[in-house]
Amino acid sequence: MSPDTPTSAPILELRDLTVDFGGVRAVNSFNMAVAPGELVGLIGPNGAGKTTIFNLITNAYQATAGQILMEGKSLRGLTPDRICHRGISRTFQNIRLFPFMTAYENVELSIHSAPQYSLFEAFVRLPRARRKERESRARAHQLLETVGLDKLAQARAGSLPYGLQRRLEIARAMAASPRILLLDEPAAGMNEDECKDLVQLIRQIHETQGYTIIMIEHHMAVVMDLCRKSRIYVMQLGANLATGGPEQIQNDPQVIKAYLGERKNGH
Amino acid sequence: MDWELFFQQLVSGISIGAIYSLLAVGYALVYSVYNFTNWAFDGFMVFGSFIGFSAILSWALPLWLAVTLSIVATVILSVTVETTSYRPLRLRKAPRLFMMISAMGVNLAIVNTLNLVYGGLFRRFPFEDLQPYFVGGISIGRMDLIAMVISALILVLLWVFLYRTKLGLGILASSVDILTASLMGINNNAVAITVFTITGVLSSMAGLFYGMKYAVYPTMGLVTIKAMIASIIGGLGSLPAAVLGSMILGVLETFVAGYISSTYRDMFSFAFLIVMLLFLPNGIMGKSLEEKL
Amino acid sequence: MGYLQAITILSGCNLLAVLGMAVLTGYTGLFSIGHAGFMALGAYMGGILGKEMGWNLVPCLLGAGLFSGIISLGIGYPAFRSRLRGDYFAIATLGFAEALRLLLNNIHSIGKWRLGGAYGYMDLPELKHMTFLPDWAVVVIVCLIALWVTHMFITSQYGMNCIAIRQDEAAAEMMGVDLLRTKLLALFVSAFLAAVGGALLAFYFGYINPSFFGIQRSSDLLASVVFGGIQSLIGPAITAILIVAVPQLLLTFALYRFIVYGLLFVVVMVFRPQGLFGYVQMNSRWITRFFRHKPPEAMEQP
Repeated sequence: MSPDTPTSAPILELRDLTVDFGGVRAVNSFNMAVAPGELVGLIGPNGAGKTTIFNLITNAYQATAGQILMEGKSLRGLTPDRICHRGISRTFQNIRLFPFMTAYENVELSIHSAPQYSLFEAFVRLPRARRKERESRARAHQLLETVGLDKLAQARAGSLPYGLQRRLEIARAMAASPRILLLDEPAAGMNEDECKDLVQLIRQIHETQGYTIIMIEHHMAVVMDLCRKSRIYVMQLGANLATGGPEQIQNDPQVIKAYLGERKNGH
Repeated sequence: MDWELFFQQLVSGISIGAIYSLLAVGYALVYSVYNFTNWAFDGFMVFGSFIGFSAILSWALPLWLAVTLSIVATVILSVTVETTSYRPLRLRKAPRLFMMISAMGVNLAIVNTLNLVYGGLFRRFPFEDLQPYFVGGISIGRMDLIAMVISALILVLLWVFLYRTKLGLGILASSVDILTASLMGINNNAVAITVFTITGVLSSMAGLFYGMKYAVYPTMGLVTIKAMIASIIGGLGSLPAAVLGSMILGVLETFVAGYISSTYRDMFSFAFLIVMLLFLPNGIMGKSLEEKL
Repeated sequence: MGYLQAITILSGCNLLAVLGMAVLTGYTGLFSIGHAGFMALGAYMGGILGKEMGWNLVPCLLGAGLFSGIISLGIGYPAFRSRLRGDYFAIATLGFAEALRLLLNNIHSIGKWRLGGAYGYMDLPELKHMTFLPDWAVVVIVCLIALWVTHMFITSQYGMNCIAIRQDEAAAEMMGVDLLRTKLLALFVSAFLAAVGGALLAFYFGYINPSFFGIQRSSDLLASVVFGGIQSLIGPAITAILIVAVPQLLLTFALYRFIVYGLLFVVVMVFRPQGLFGYVQMNSRWITRFFRHKPPEAMEQP
């Protein structure tokens, strides 16, 4: 696989993406192209604009300039819910679960955020509606099982320990049946053991579900491990700094300089 | 084209616009610092008005004392409300819905207490019919003139305070980002008390002017809806925009009342609101006011 | 006996509007201060359909509801799109209620229909003459149907979307919930229900007057949801009945009631924001759940 560009037609492409907040240019002509099924890392010092990229892709913020293309079609101007239905789902840097719903409900909501039956059927629960509800219920439980939360399905999401909340967020993101999964610092605040479990989980869902995954992370160990065979984008001050495979990135003098003060193999 | 009538309406519109300005600025100030609609603003205004009224009529105080008393009493009320009903919720980061309910509750309590004490009759301030001034054939009510001049004065003073004093700048900083402001050493409590003191002053002045121009009655606070609409017209969250919106609304509204019918005046304001929301939701001076992530 | 019937009917009409508020505010988190305006729309439209067009009861109620629902979309659409904060909608509802009240006070007739302005709309068909059932039975039946329909809505996928919006709107949107559509839906349903309540009120008295639907009524409706509980139907439903019944029984209380409500709003928000029956759902286990349920930590509740 060539280090700079994917080999097949990209599923997601960002071209010269730029956003200004007042006088501040938070993202400056950023470029990225991701092939279907790739697991790509996005790293950079704090404040580099990584989460802003995710916010731009999901249109939480409107870009000032540039293009966001999914399979060649522009995503700009679509509302976040439409973008979700196109197949992009995300987790959040500061967890944004629905704290007063149960773990199960959080996941289930994602499955049917676009209701699967008509309003009339909601009022009069015909067999078809009931069947759809059963199916979503089953799928939600299955997803919880995948992330290891099936025993805690009825727990209030806000009461779960931090590490499990992060897993729940991943389950919720998967529930939307995405093609592209945006993971924003999934390993934040985790210790070594939890990181190892997380890496295993992400690898497992990547392989079994075939998602395209873009992952923002500060834990270098996690990024280097998961992106072992693929690419990593490095951002600084809102712009591309370097792109390439793990070894290439780790040895790039500019990247080292940007991270000056941080250990290469630590976090 | 009857120019006399036109200018008459214009003057009248500016005068009501001045009262709206006081209210709209008060509303916009709280909104810009706390992202919160102070529904009790209505109650503060009515309260200030009734205190002034009682002071003159029942306690026979001279005008200057009545006005001072009204302002002081309203400020005390405003700050009390802030400390007991808003701050506890704010400190716990209560969701906006809960804060609105609390504010609504305060308003209900104040307005209905006043209703109970004073009854629903329209009261008039006991001034003899003041002679209006005549300028080139247009009569400008003395009350209107006073209201315009003093409102302008108050707003200028407020401007000076906000931009030239340390505390004022602290408030401005808080309106941009309250967390950062506090991290930079600005005392949140001082800001809160100052903001609500200003609210108290503005609402009592507006209440007095409105009461003197029209009448005093428990539901007079509904005029604050106009102020909120004016704020939205100008651009919610900005003080100059609030003044602009108030002037525009005051003048246009008066023209509608004068040329079409006074019945439709309030409906016009509501329709204006809907039109603004449809086409210029961020107001004429529109800044981006979307939810931040 | 007549007294009990009167209370049943009055609280029933209120209950319908409160169910609407529960959906809009209790579940979807949209603060509406002018909901009595939707009741007024329903009352007047019901009156027009019943008196001027001679329709039967059910079509009148449905027509009134539909009319109110459609108007509500006219208010909701500008306020909900462009991701405006909830304050805009609240201001719009307050403005709407006031503007409507003034309009109704000043319209004496539309064509041949004598709406009466501030004197009120008179000689409307009365409930007891519209069906073979006693009037209180009609109200009770309509309430039961409304409770069932609302329950179905709230427990459906649409209902869950509403709840998600209340808890975290931005996250809900990114999980695929169409904010505008869901909010408009909740608003339509709530306006519809309020209108049916208003129409029944009109048919009970045979007469309506704009003052029936002023700030006091909106405050009563809001109080029912605030005290009755967030994210619950049964809580506001019970509170709706109490809010009508108690002032009737304790007449001295009636004088002070809004002052008490106002103060209680603050107290409830500070100490028990989820209300009496917050989060309690109507199912066979709700009684046990009420006594067992632990209120979520103080102030994080949306």
